[in-house]
Amino acid sequence: MSGHLTAGRAQMGTSLSFHLFFAVLGVGLPLMMLVAEGMHLRTGEPTWRALARRWSKVFAILFAVGAASGTIISFELGLLWPRFMAFAGGVIGLPFSLEGAAFFIEAVFVGIYLYGWDRLSPRLHWLSGIPIVISSAASAFFIVTANAWMNVPRGFSLVHGRVTHVNVLAAMFNPAWATETSHMVLGAYLATTFGVAAVYAVGMLRGRRDAYHRKAIALALSVAAILAPLQMGVGDLLGRTVAKNQPAKLAAIEGVTHTERGAGLNIGGIPLPGHAAGVLNVKLPHLLSVLAFDRPNASVRGLSTFPRANRTPLAGPVRLAFIGMIGIGTGLVGLSVWYWLRRRRTGPGPEDRITLLALAGAGPLAFLANELGWLVSEFGRQPWIVYGVFRTSSAITTAPGLGATFTAFTLLYLGLSSVTLWGVRRVSTGSPDHLPRPSLSVALR
Amino acid sequence: MSLSALIALVLGLCLTAYAILAGADFGAGILDLTAGRHSSERGALARTIGPLWEANHVWLIFSITILFSVFPTAFAALGTAMLAPLTVALIALVVRGAALSLRADPAGATRSESLLGWAFGAGSVTAPFVFGACAGAVAQISSSGRGAAGATGVAGVPWTGVFAGTVGLLAVALCAHVAACFMSFRSSRAREELAARFRRRGLQTGAAVLALGLLALLAASWKAPALWHRLSTTALPLVVVGTVAAGLSVQALARRRYLVARWASMVAAGAVVWGWFIAQSPRLLGSRLTIHTAAASPAVLSALAIAGAVVLLAVLPAFYLLYALFRRPSLEVTQ
Repeated sequence: MSGHLTAGRAQMGTSLSFHLFFAVLGVGLPLMMLVAEGMHLRTGEPTWRALARRWSKVFAILFAVGAASGTIISFELGLLWPRFMAFAGGVIGLPFSLEGAAFFIEAVFVGIYLYGWDRLSPRLHWLSGIPIVISSAASAFFIVTANAWMNVPRGFSLVHGRVTHVNVLAAMFNPAWATETSHMVLGAYLATTFGVAAVYAVGMLRGRRDAYHRKAIALALSVAAILAPLQMGVGDLLGRTVAKNQPAKLAAIEGVTHTERGAGLNIGGIPLPGHAAGVLNVKLPHLLSVLAFDRPNASVRGLSTFPRANRTPLAGPVRLAFIGMIGIGTGLVGLSVWYWLRRRRTGPGPEDRITLLALAGAGPLAFLANELGWLVSEFGRQPWIVYGVFRTSSAITTAPGLGATFTAFTLLYLGLSSVTLWGVRRVSTGSPDHLPRPSLSVALR
Repeated sequence: MSLSALIALVLGLCLTAYAILAGADFGAGILDLTAGRHSSERGALARTIGPLWEANHVWLIFSITILFSVFPTAFAALGTAMLAPLTVALIALVVRGAALSLRADPAGATRSESLLGWAFGAGSVTAPFVFGACAGAVAQISSSGRGAAGATGVAGVPWTGVFAGTVGLLAVALCAHVAACFMSFRSSRAREELAARFRRRGLQTGAAVLALGLLALLAASWKAPALWHRLSTTALPLVVVGTVAAGLSVQALARRRYLVARWASMVAAGAVVWGWFIAQSPRLLGSRLTIHTAAASPAVLSALAIAGAVVLLAVLPAFYLLYALFRRPSLEVTQ
């Protein structure tokens, strides 16, 4: 039975982390296209339009694969976790229905935007991109409120194991909705901006130092410079939400084994098997108590005080993922500050090898940070599928054959990843359209 | 009418929209797969469904969402009983969607283009076949008195049976027929030779629809007597409407009245879907899970009904806008 559960969880985890990549770009790229196309409308500079068109071709592929992998997930809720859905379907149905609507509007305007370049006036075409930006962010918002409910379940009563007195609005606007959704949407925008910057940084490293590449990087890092500090603030608020509502998760995230009054913040503290405390740890006194509860002497409950059955069996990976996410996030903020400080001094932005290499590395790392954040959220919630209410082991399907479906979907995702990469490279290499000078630009590598 | 019945009606309408609109997209893939060396057909098919298919697909997401929020126990039972076939259908959906969006030039003769075209076509055949077979199996077990093993278990849904297989084939033929009728109407004004080719394929697929519809009824009378009983009594009007519409669509194609053929083919597809609903109503899956017993609490139902009304008000104008904008084919290839 435990192999059965592991196969089910592995299939769900693989599906979610695959989908997340496309979901992130599906939320982020429309914003980038809209800004670039808007710059073209404002300045008449053809490079902006070329960038927007190029990105829209990439987006067409990513949106199709993302819509398909999202469909897989909506089915998998019932295929893998039928007892969870029978339990919670009515309570979290509202955000899912609204997400359906947002996705619908997005799909309609994606059709109009992608196929309307020559059918609509430039201004109307730009306007048709606005609903895509709004509805893709709204989709992320609605879906994440459902996840927030799994972390901080509200809006129902439990009578003899049955859900009663459902209030769908109270369930949707549970205490974690605001922080969790903003953290996700900002994370999606940030990963996209650093991803775009990375693509063009690689192009410049290959010697293509033209206006097309410079503008792309400048646009991406402008958006990042606005959003990165916001994300740090939102991340802090989300940490407080966790501290208040999921003490066992907080303990795993922060690597707090024993209850501490005036708890220090662990920096580093990498969990290694065979070591009771984290390795390479620096402890900043009282800081964790301040960050989590606003009081320097507040008590932070340690992981060992929770019954073994009610705390995550994956405390090590949770801590590791959290360190990774925070480390990458801090690095991204630092990189964007570095870029803009250097830019002001020298004019058109730093183009030395070190900066470009850092940008090229930052793109994949920004996506990794999103994946790690979800690992923190999902691993940290275990053994619960609905925190404190419903166990993951009680939610798994009774149908046999999960080993086979997990294998099938893993092969599918491997195949999809490689053909998608091939397809994206195909539409993004070669000289951009509508630019006077044929430059052998390799946009996405 | 109770609220759960009203929502079940809306669920039926969403599924009908999916069956007809996304069915036509599947049909385009089937016609693409069987187009032989007629690359002009492939190009016209790809240009027609290009802007529309993603939005058509969302009707499935809608239906799934309604099913799991309004009838959670039925969704759970369906997922448990249908793990294997729905996994196959999902993989087919993903493969065809990805292949369609990756294919840069539908008329291209390179190896990668033809491989992608083949994957698009194979997925487009598999998905409606499996969905059709699942629907047939659900209808068969729900109309019989069997299949009542508690809330999350409906044992022995016969999705590999003869009846299910026949319904799967009927679904494939219907998808191809709706697509062929739609394409012959769409190309009739500008490109007569293309319209003639789609007309011929509409006639072939229409004949297949009529034959398979008859076979499905025979299979029902042989393998699923309880379902046959419902089909020949309560659902008889829809069986008649479906048969007449399919016949009318073939006859209209023969007389080159493409607009009539297009509407008749859509009515035929809708009649099959509604024949299924009526034949097993009010049961959702098995004999115990009905639209009343599987429904969520009244508070959830009314909240979702309000949300659903708002959602449809927002979605339907956008959907109309999309179809209005791409009603006429553009002759140049917009890439």
